Amino acid sequence: MVGFGEEKAKEGVLASLSLRQAASGTIATLGDAIDSLIKRQPARAAEDAALRVITAIHEMPEREAEWAPMPSWLRPELAAAYRGKGIERLYSHQAAAAEAVRAGRNVVVVTPTASGKTLCYNLPVLNAILENADARALYLFPTKALAQDQLAELHDLEERLGDAFAVFTYDGDTPSDARKAIRERGHIVLSNPDMLHAGILPHHTRWMRLFENLRFVVIDELHTYRGVFGSHVTNVLRRLARIARFYGSKPQFICSSATIANPRELAERLAEQPFDLVDENGAPAARKTFVFYNPPLVNRRLGIRRSYINESRRVAQEFLGRDLQTLVFANSRLHTELLVTYLLQTNPSLPGRQEAIRGYRGGYLPGERREIERGLREGRIRAVVATSALELGVDIGSLDAVVMAGYPGRIASTWQRAGRAGRRNGHACAVLVASSAPLDQFIVTHPEYFFGQSPERAFVEPDNPEILLNHLKCAAFELPLRAGERFGGLEIDEPARALEGAGFLHRSGAAWHWTDEAYPADAISLRAVTSDNFVIMDLGRGAPEAIGEVDFSSALTTVHPKAIYLHDGAFYSVERLDFDDRKAYVRQVETDYFTDAIRYTEVRILEEAARAPAGEGRAAHGDVLVRSQVVGFKKIKFFTNENVGAGPLELPENEMHTTSFWITLERGLVAALPFPVSERQAGMYGLLCALEAVATLLLMCDRRDLGTAIGERPPDPGSNAAAPRPEMSPSPEVSRTKAQEFFEPNLYLYDAYPGGIGFSRPLFEMRGELLARTRELIRSCACEHGCPSCVGPAEGGWRTKEVALAILERLCE
Amino acid sequence: MSDRGGIRWLDGDRRTALGALRRGRGAPACAATPPETEERRDALAEIVGATVERNRYGEFLRVRRWLTGPGPCRFPEALQRVVRAPLEAGDLAEPERWLFLDTETTGLSGGTGTCAFLVGLAWWEAGGLAIEQLFLRDYAEEHAVLLALAERLEERPVLVTYNGKSFDWPLLETRFRLTRQIEPAPPRLHIDLLHPARQLWRLEWGTARLGELERLVLGIDRGPDLPSALIPEIYFDYLRGASAEPLVAVFRHNQGDLSSLAALAGHIAELAHSPERASPLEQYGLSRIFERRGDRPGARRVYEMAIEAGLPASLGRAARRRLARLARRDGELELAHSLWRELAEEESVTGEVSEEKETVESILEACEQLAIHYERRERNREEALEWTRHAAALLDGSGGVDRKFRCRWQQRLERRMGRLAGRRRGASNALLGKVMPCVSGAGAGSCGLERAKGKQSEY
Repeated sequence: MVGFGEEKAKEGVLASLSLRQAASGTIATLGDAIDSLIKRQPARAAEDAALRVITAIHEMPEREAEWAPMPSWLRPELAAAYRGKGIERLYSHQAAAAEAVRAGRNVVVVTPTASGKTLCYNLPVLNAILENADARALYLFPTKALAQDQLAELHDLEERLGDAFAVFTYDGDTPSDARKAIRERGHIVLSNPDMLHAGILPHHTRWMRLFENLRFVVIDELHTYRGVFGSHVTNVLRRLARIARFYGSKPQFICSSATIANPRELAERLAEQPFDLVDENGAPAARKTFVFYNPPLVNRRLGIRRSYINESRRVAQEFLGRDLQTLVFANSRLHTELLVTYLLQTNPSLPGRQEAIRGYRGGYLPGERREIERGLREGRIRAVVATSALELGVDIGSLDAVVMAGYPGRIASTWQRAGRAGRRNGHACAVLVASSAPLDQFIVTHPEYFFGQSPERAFVEPDNPEILLNHLKCAAFELPLRAGERFGGLEIDEPARALEGAGFLHRSGAAWHWTDEAYPADAISLRAVTSDNFVIMDLGRGAPEAIGEVDFSSALTTVHPKAIYLHDGAFYSVERLDFDDRKAYVRQVETDYFTDAIRYTEVRILEEAARAPAGEGRAAHGDVLVRSQVVGFKKIKFFTNENVGAGPLELPENEMHTTSFWITLERGLVAALPFPVSERQAGMYGLLCALEAVATLLLMCDRRDLGTAIGERPPDPGSNAAAPRPEMSPSPEVSRTKAQEFFEPNLYLYDAYPGGIGFSRPLFEMRGELLARTRELIRSCACEHGCPSCVGPAEGGWRTKEVALAILERLCE
Repeated sequence: MSDRGGIRWLDGDRRTALGALRRGRGAPACAATPPETEERRDALAEIVGATVERNRYGEFLRVRRWLTGPGPCRFPEALQRVVRAPLEAGDLAEPERWLFLDTETTGLSGGTGTCAFLVGLAWWEAGGLAIEQLFLRDYAEEHAVLLALAERLEERPVLVTYNGKSFDWPLLETRFRLTRQIEPAPPRLHIDLLHPARQLWRLEWGTARLGELERLVLGIDRGPDLPSALIPEIYFDYLRGASAEPLVAVFRHNQGDLSSLAALAGHIAELAHSPERASPLEQYGLSRIFERRGDRPGARRVYEMAIEAGLPASLGRAARRRLARLARRDGELELAHSLWRELAEEESVTGEVSEEKETVESILEACEQLAIHYERRERNREEALEWTRHAAALLDGSGGVDRKFRCRWQQRLERRMGRLAGRRRGASNALLGKVMPCVSGAGAGSCGLERAKGKQSEY
């Protein structure tokens, strides 16, 4: 890693770059491209960090493979099949994984892109099937596309082994006449958690052959199962274990994960079993240069930088213009399309350019996607602009350069995207172009953080009551719940009685049976906490027609009366919100503004689980009650973001029990801040905004997964016999207009899902890191008093940033 | 749970906020099940006239009835002609060994969480119909009921159901598998009457629901009957301690279905045995079934019967079209030829150009077949060309067909016309341009335009 201020190291890099130019043609042109990028660094960058455009050049030298022989126990025909594919020996991590599986252990393998992870599970699984033709394995991938990709690899092995085993995908696209054969004959079934949840487990009697002989469950891309999705999947695995037990089997787990800080912990929480970790990568790697690029500063005071989309186009052009095959990642569909257009305009004379520069994203048809993947492998396609759809597993070969337009949001995904560049025996380059979002700025100005040990941890909260109860319904549908039975270590009697009370279950003898006509899995999506959704009804199509859904928690802010709702590129105005029926009636409109709801949030602490001092302040976590009410909305004009009107709303209050982490600023601390009250308040909100950004980084979550609020600290329990006084805490958008004085405020970061999704306790445990990183983020930001990259825009000339830093100084030890 | 850092969530009022406990149709939350009392159990047995049976898995309720009718099927072998299953001689020979089955379940969604709480069985005995209903007073009695069912299946291995192939039997198979203990041999034969019933009556009555056919076809009036949608909730209510009274209607409903099922089996067998007694529409349905089962002589005979007896116009055309195809396959070209002629000339007889796609297609096909006939057999190209032109003109004048259909036929006719005309080199070029404006190879999109041009050139 080379921070750019370190001149010596920089010279070293440049020297090595020019040396490289003596090598082959591609390497020379790649070196040229990198040199040309480096020339964009302004001359004064060495003295003034804020001016740096190139904030890091990280050289990763070529790495030799570490080999291990094929295991002695490997079936000769399987060894021959792999030999036929040119694989005579294994990378050390592949061998380690195979041995651990052979020894009957659950294994989680942490693998960088293109390190041969599929062999880690295919080899031991196929060996077991060749030893015993009854053995069965279930592979789970987070998406259908990934399963399709694996199918090709397994079909190849199937052919080489003379059809000694059968492999099928089983998902929503599987034709119904093929399903029976798959259930009976498939040794390996490739599916996804959603299908397992709604299509396989509720029909387990038809899958008797599979469940009676289930030896392995393979979970690929384990790190994607976190937060809400991971909490659901944990429960799906509990149901799977229950059914396997019913048929007398106990499968072994093999998981693979991208690099995160806690892969083993995540595997153990998901599968609720002990795991062995294999993370010593033995795969070879090509030489690679990783560049961090921060678009040039346009207005220092306001912290405004040049558009990162445009800059990404320029960076990509450095490679594309030298005929280097380039993959550009954008973070939204819109940006994907924009960048394709820009690159086409920039390269009017590229031969066959309509074919050579392509977009790739979720909405494309499968056939088109396969064609693009093939074109990339064969080199016909010179540049692709993709969304995260290309980040996971899909085989596209290796490219010369990867340009990321904006930080992908997670370190693990950034490495996965960067891993797309890297030719064997060659040199490749990955460039991260930062946007002005706080996370992007933090990463790009703290390269040591990115290139060091991964700080990202993945968490799940399978015992979230909403999620758990829903899966208990499914479990009861699948097999009666026995009194005294445990569900993932949890006693089910109490929740079962709750479900009985609501009429879903009936107790007969020592078991609870499903007593509802509905098929519960249909109503439960693994991607959301509750299925209590609002349906969007379009009034402009004759009879009202459903065009979409929004989940309960966001309904009040997105589909309140008079809200402008965006759907599939069109604008709709909400005419009526039927709260009881969970319906919002909309009509398409032409508009030049969008709406922004004004929400009033109040947090009440129900129970403090733990507390600890944080400098002169205090940190704690526990159960809270969050009451929020949308009290009005603002109309914001497109492009100019002018406020062009407002309106009051009378909507029901929304109440949610969840978990929260909070920081208490004690009276002395607040009083000692050398700023006037209004600036103090602004500083607190600014601090909370920055804390939220850093917390999402540490927790690998999205901003919408966390809620924030500030409220007056309630009296200590015990100091007053009465119930805790509710604290009123207007959310930032309200408070900025009318400054309110807090004497002893609590800064809350709460889980934005009813029941909590498992972020609060980890945040409490990571509070030291959270505070220190937040201080770094704010400190290193180039703006004067605050900007959207750190504490949010500074209004009214307030010294938001200084106040936030002053508070942090007192909180950090 | 708090040891894990999650929320403690089941105390009192917090529960009400949970969406997972909200019920869809606003069904009231109910109190925990009251203890099962002897009186309540006896009450049900008494009001439905059941006895408590016992086997090695425990107790269950059984209702037995004997009805004087419907009597046994008189032509069991005839049923063989209309069912899909591959049959061995003698499978159907003993109607006394047929077992009628109809279940009442806790839902229609399928999957392992749907349970058959009432298994209705029936068989012909002593000139009448014996009915046996097995009922679980609670889920715990399911094993005992399934064992009793398995024993019945062993005695009478020919299963007769209505929609049982897709619903009742897979559901029972699931229930058997869930016991992990009771594994009955699959029925030797499973006749699902839904399939022939659909062919026979859906055209005439627009429904194939058993309850409706009972009234419309068999002329039985069941009196007030329970809508089946209410059945699961009645059972759930009973489980939760409500009165047993509403279940009486469920038992009666099930008995009604069983007796209709038996009557329907007899009726279908009778129609298959003596098609001449069937209505023309039933005859048409029967011949479709025969045709599908590969019984060509049977199908032809009954198609002829149906045409003779008089079918509605569109069905008459369909029947003639099918009959003509069968006749051609059997080498009876005379018959086929006369049917095609009838079809092709019908339009000129009525003087109207039909707007119906089905009709247009059957006439076009007839013209085409006539053209083939004249071209290949009679070696009369003039006549062949004439029929092809007739078809083209007909197609040109019919407005009711979609563009795709029109283009397909235009291309098809044009190819034939081109070939015929080619042999009579030169003579037909003008005619080609006039009648067949749709250029071969032009996509569906260009058809309209080409047609418009063609029209102009006629002037």
